[in-house]
Amino acid sequence: MTQFLMDNIVTKENSRYPKLLAEIGKDAPKQLYYKGEWNQDLFERCLAVVGARRMTSYGRRVTEQIVSEVAAAGITIVSGFMYGIDETAHRAALMVGGKTIAVMPCGIDIIHPEYQADLYEKILDKGGLVLSEYEGTHPVASWTFPRRNRIVAGISKAVLVVEAGETSGALITADLANKYGRKVFAVPGPITSSVSKGVTRLLREGAEAVGAARDILALYGAGFRTARKDSVPRHVAGELEQKIVELLEGEPMEIDVLARQLEVPASRLGASVSMLQLEGVLSEEQGKYYVC
Amino acid sequence: MLTKVQSAANSGLEAIGVDVEVSVSSRGLPGFEIVGLASKAVDESKERVRAAIGNSKMEFPQRKITVNLAPADVPKDGSLYDLPIAVGIMASVLGYAIPEKSLFFGELSLDGTLRHTRGAVLMALFAREHGYKNVFAPADSAPEAAVVKGVNVYALRSLEQTAGFLLRKTQLQPAVYEERERVEIQTEAEFDMAEVLGQERSKRAMEIAAAGGHNVLMIGSPGSGKTMLARALPGILPFLNEEESLEVTKLYSIAGGIPPGGSLITTRPFRSPHHTISQIGLIGGGQRPQPGEVSLAHRGVLFLDEFNEFPRAVLESLRQPVEDGTLTISRSRERVTYPCRFILVASANPCPCGYLDHSKKPCVCTPREVSKYRKRVSGPILDRIDLHVEVPAVDTQEFAENQSASALAESSRDIRKRVDAVRRIQEARFLNERIYTNAEMKNAHIKTYAQLGAEAERILQRAANRYQLSARSYMKLIKIARTIADFAEEEHIETEHMAEALQYRPRAYIIE
Repeated sequence: MTQFLMDNIVTKENSRYPKLLAEIGKDAPKQLYYKGEWNQDLFERCLAVVGARRMTSYGRRVTEQIVSEVAAAGITIVSGFMYGIDETAHRAALMVGGKTIAVMPCGIDIIHPEYQADLYEKILDKGGLVLSEYEGTHPVASWTFPRRNRIVAGISKAVLVVEAGETSGALITADLANKYGRKVFAVPGPITSSVSKGVTRLLREGAEAVGAARDILALYGAGFRTARKDSVPRHVAGELEQKIVELLEGEPMEIDVLARQLEVPASRLGASVSMLQLEGVLSEEQGKYYVC
Repeated sequence: MLTKVQSAANSGLEAIGVDVEVSVSSRGLPGFEIVGLASKAVDESKERVRAAIGNSKMEFPQRKITVNLAPADVPKDGSLYDLPIAVGIMASVLGYAIPEKSLFFGELSLDGTLRHTRGAVLMALFAREHGYKNVFAPADSAPEAAVVKGVNVYALRSLEQTAGFLLRKTQLQPAVYEERERVEIQTEAEFDMAEVLGQERSKRAMEIAAAGGHNVLMIGSPGSGKTMLARALPGILPFLNEEESLEVTKLYSIAGGIPPGGSLITTRPFRSPHHTISQIGLIGGGQRPQPGEVSLAHRGVLFLDEFNEFPRAVLESLRQPVEDGTLTISRSRERVTYPCRFILVASANPCPCGYLDHSKKPCVCTPREVSKYRKRVSGPILDRIDLHVEVPAVDTQEFAENQSASALAESSRDIRKRVDAVRRIQEARFLNERIYTNAEMKNAHIKTYAQLGAEAERILQRAANRYQLSARSYMKLIKIARTIADFAEEEHIETEHMAEALQYRPRAYIIE
């Protein structure tokens, strides 16, 4: 066991220790325990994606959309393995074959939260990395979460905050990023939502508003090897189907709203939408349809 | 002196003939005994009969009276033997002959009048089947018994009137079933479909459910209109046909659900038990098994609001009734079978707080809480629900600004017309089968009556692979497509019907 741990540790003195993380000086952890294959390339270009645990479907959609493009462009997505935005970011990166690093708030031998064990396995399977400054089975504590955040911010060139309430841990990460001189991006949300409050604060304090993945990619100087498919004109059979796709490209919506906008009975629309779904043009989540 | 009066005992929906033998003997000390597996309610009949006769300008005989309810090994319960016992005793005093081939039942009041008694329609059916000519029933129960044609039902108000008739002093005309005496257990739906804002897809799902008899599960945030949709459902359900009416009336008759003076039930029942209901309350049971909510919803709707809040054991007990449409309740003394072919309408929130994946409000539940909440309903139960619908939150502002959207909404009356037409198609289709609706089809029926076009089959196959549908879901989708094709009056299920049916497939994230 001890032998195993010794193999999976990178100390501050080691040449493999991430350079960006070393730059944060006193805050940098003395050592990093890890699971997975330590590949120096992983740390080249990192983007931290953090946000609320209690996200809305808007937060989920935005995270999926932006992360999948950014990850597809070869940027490593760093997050904290918590449920909510963190989890969505990890999964979205894996979905497009991107790399992702999870920084745990607990000892390296524990999975927290444990019910996300499947995600843990996937991250390791796909060449990602799990990091922690704590050894063995160090328990999770209320203070390990904010401390974990300094690693998330430290190894990343920029931090993207998607949804955050007034007291969200994501704000701690953003503040740390500011302190370390890293760029902070924030996705604006509806001002009526409680998980927009923290984001709005960040924007007021000078974070850069993100409207699309390219706003972030510009910072990394990454080429637009985007996986965005709308550059290719879609060939969809049928006039109604064409209209559906056009409407949904603008904004994901429920079938009822579609029916009212197109003035087509829900029965007929249902048939078309099912076919588009089977053909892989549309996908559905919690009742809303969007173009894949 | 020995008198024999015919009556009957109920056992579930069946009746067994009972001879009420009354012996009034001048030897021995005066007394009154009832033998023949009589329950407490029957035993108490002694006091009612004694008082009722005394209060009907007659002398109660001061003799030794023995009443035997034969066959003596069948348990007898209820107050319906009051009348036959009294008629038997009065015969020894007044000396009239008991009319032949006549059945008596009814509860007595102490003043000698007859009270409404449950099970009247079953008595009349039993009488007709076993060649009785006359049924003597309390006046309040007579309209119910008169539903059965082929027997004379005499409506009796009091013991005095009964005695007068048996002594041929007064005339009595048999009661006639009149349409206006029908009981509407659920006269009107609480809401009209037009009142439900938006929710076009959910309304369509309700329409399909009503037409094909399919079960529905609605999942949506609080306030999205799930309950309203369910409560509007009775308004689009077709009326009961004659046979169905009788089935429902029988069940309500033994459950005591028919009010005094009521007769045939012609509207479909709508039952919405609260989630604190016990297993026996839902399924039926008791020492003498009574029908539960599932049977009272027979040929109608069983609405389970807040599906996840029902105790798991209660929900699991629904499995077999939902699948089979009949239910056998076995108790040590009795085994009873009740029908329970209903449309199950269930509604649930996506998570305990109700706002999971809401577009505006964040959900405050942890994933653990969500999965715990969902696990309360098992996969097998969800697998037995045909139509799975997500009911999204409605943007009320959109409707406030745009009145025309609500003006487009169809009224329940218009929808019911379509539903009725589809029911007629099904009636014609299943003329020689023992089912009424597409939802009741077994695999053999599907082969004969629900043939898929080649393209439709290909689509279903693809969907089955893509969404990992269970074999049961696969069949359910064919049934739904059958109903959708019936709306289009097509004999074969075509692509568009199958494609629309796919909208209502079970969602993977619900069954985890």
